[in-house]
Amino acid sequence: MSTIHLQNLVKKFGDFTALKTMDLAIADGEFMALLGPSGCGKSTTMNMIAGMEEPTSGKILFGERDMAGVPMGRRGVGFVFQNYAIFTHMSVRQNLAYGPKMRGAAKAEVDRRVGAIAEMLQLTPLLDRKADRLSVNILQRVAIGRSAIMEPAIFLLDEPLSNVDAAFRAVMRTELKQLQRQFRQTMVYVTHDQLEAMTMADRIAVMDHGVLQQVGTPLEVYNDPANVFVARFIGAPGMNLLKGRPAESDGGVVVDLGPLGATPPLPVEIADVARRMRGEVFYGFRPEQVKLAEDGRGLSMPVSFVERIGPRTIIHLGDGETAVKAVFDNDVGLAIGQTAVVAPAVEAVRVFDAATGLALRAG
Amino acid sequence: MQASKAASVLPDEGARLGFRLTLPAQILVLFIAVFPLLMQLYISLTDWSPLSGTGWWNAWSMWNSFANYTDLAVDARFWSALKRTAIVMIVCVPTEFLLGLALATLFADEFPGKRIFYSILLMPMMVVPAVAGYMFFMLFQSGGPVNDILSAISGFPVTIAWLSDPTLALIAVMVADIWQWTPLMFLILLAGLVGVPEDQIKAATLLGANPWQRFVTIVLPKMKTIIIIALAIRVIENFKIFDTLYIMTGGGPGVATETISVYIYKLTTQDLIWGYVAAIALAILIVLSIAAVFAMKRMARVRQVTA
Repeated sequence: MSTIHLQNLVKKFGDFTALKTMDLAIADGEFMALLGPSGCGKSTTMNMIAGMEEPTSGKILFGERDMAGVPMGRRGVGFVFQNYAIFTHMSVRQNLAYGPKMRGAAKAEVDRRVGAIAEMLQLTPLLDRKADRLSVNILQRVAIGRSAIMEPAIFLLDEPLSNVDAAFRAVMRTELKQLQRQFRQTMVYVTHDQLEAMTMADRIAVMDHGVLQQVGTPLEVYNDPANVFVARFIGAPGMNLLKGRPAESDGGVVVDLGPLGATPPLPVEIADVARRMRGEVFYGFRPEQVKLAEDGRGLSMPVSFVERIGPRTIIHLGDGETAVKAVFDNDVGLAIGQTAVVAPAVEAVRVFDAATGLALRAG
Repeated sequence: MQASKAASVLPDEGARLGFRLTLPAQILVLFIAVFPLLMQLYISLTDWSPLSGTGWWNAWSMWNSFANYTDLAVDARFWSALKRTAIVMIVCVPTEFLLGLALATLFADEFPGKRIFYSILLMPMMVVPAVAGYMFFMLFQSGGPVNDILSAISGFPVTIAWLSDPTLALIAVMVADIWQWTPLMFLILLAGLVGVPEDQIKAATLLGANPWQRFVTIVLPKMKTIIIIALAIRVIENFKIFDTLYIMTGGGPGVATETISVYIYKLTTQDLIWGYVAAIALAILIVLSIAAVFAMKRMARVRQVTA
């Protein structure tokens, strides 16, 4: 088990900067998800931790130990590839035994360890099957077992669920999380799927364009996005953001949204900060934290689309710059063309500086 | 039930139509492949030669049953030519394979000047074998460059008569073959090497395998099919070794470098006993066919395993 420290990590490929700068501390036994759209630098970061790529500058520490120049075979890192990279010309047993065998462990020792890990992963009946015709969840277990048998301090997983069909992902997610509890290793999990990150990770590092945007628990990232990118990226659908200017009113500080009128008063904690803002701000709220309100007590907008997703119904309001989505129970009686008055829950409102994109925080 | 019946009738009809449409082509191919074989079999059972004054179709008048084959069984020159061919093959094919594999491994990675070296390396393969034969004939003269280089290295004049010494002549001939055909081996093996999944090599590295272990446990097993193909091509080609060799030594000195092909060539052009030649050719064809079937069966098994 080991902590991981990334310090001022930078990676350039020729003229292209894959990772601008990255500082991240991953605790011992923590499940950290690196989350972001493709090209955000998450895989590059992972490859540098594994030692497949050398950082252009910056440091990687495992515990106290600087990993610069340590080849990937010596880092004590378990790596699960996107396609699992199972040795298809071998049996499951040979796959599991590969690491210890290459390190020259005695045959009895190899057999004992393979037996133990197979038992733990419920692979015992499959040990003598050829590895080229296994289902994906078995492949995942073999891939994890093959790394786990080396007792690595750190486990790296590179989008292991991206080739799995949607129905099966839930099963795989549960299995993976259980395995992590069993092994108690530090895990770094790269994904572009926020559902995977939310359900499995202890903390999420959200990345975009080679820059770390926010690190926090799934709830922190969801409830208090650090900037506009995180607000839009996390959540399905993402946070509603409406541009406007802070203004004083009888009830407190509101945001003047122009043609949409003024918002309900801002929560007290951010009202002070918002009052001092000169430029424009984004008025943000989660689609899930919206209620229908009486006229004059919320934003009055036309319904442009009704999207039914079974238990819930997503109502699309307005369009273009002022589009808002709101999630209601599926018995909501709204139809296209009607006007709805929606009010975000006051405590769930977040305000962002439109110039910098950063969230306004109290204090 | 009905659905499956309908489904089974259709492909049948398709197969029948396909057979009828390709029948002319099949007859043509059959004629090209089978006719010479039957002709050969026929002649091999007679004493016919182009000097007998009758056409080959009249060869039955010189029928000698299996005399050619019984002669073959006790023909010491035939057996020694066969043994020599086997020696050349046993030396050349593995050498070409190992050199080709080493070069392919080298060329799988990037290094400066790779493209130029690549072109240079493939050049021997493009040289006409007869020209290569003449080239090596000159290189191995007693006053030739090979001896010059040996003189320069050893410090005293070397004048080995390479092509006049029975053992050295055979070595010279094998050097020429290795020079010319290692590139082909290299090309085929490189294609196989590039196809080895990189993820699995990385995975092996992360599990602590050193480069040699990775090569033996991952790369070679993944290349099995292509290795068998490359070896099969070279074994078959090498068995028929003729042009380069014939120009260098003419099978000499004496019969020291006489391989099966050279022996057949001499019997055909000098002794003119075509009935006997046909018998030899047929015997070799049978041996090679058995070898080919064996190799193909093995390959099919390997493909099943690696698929």
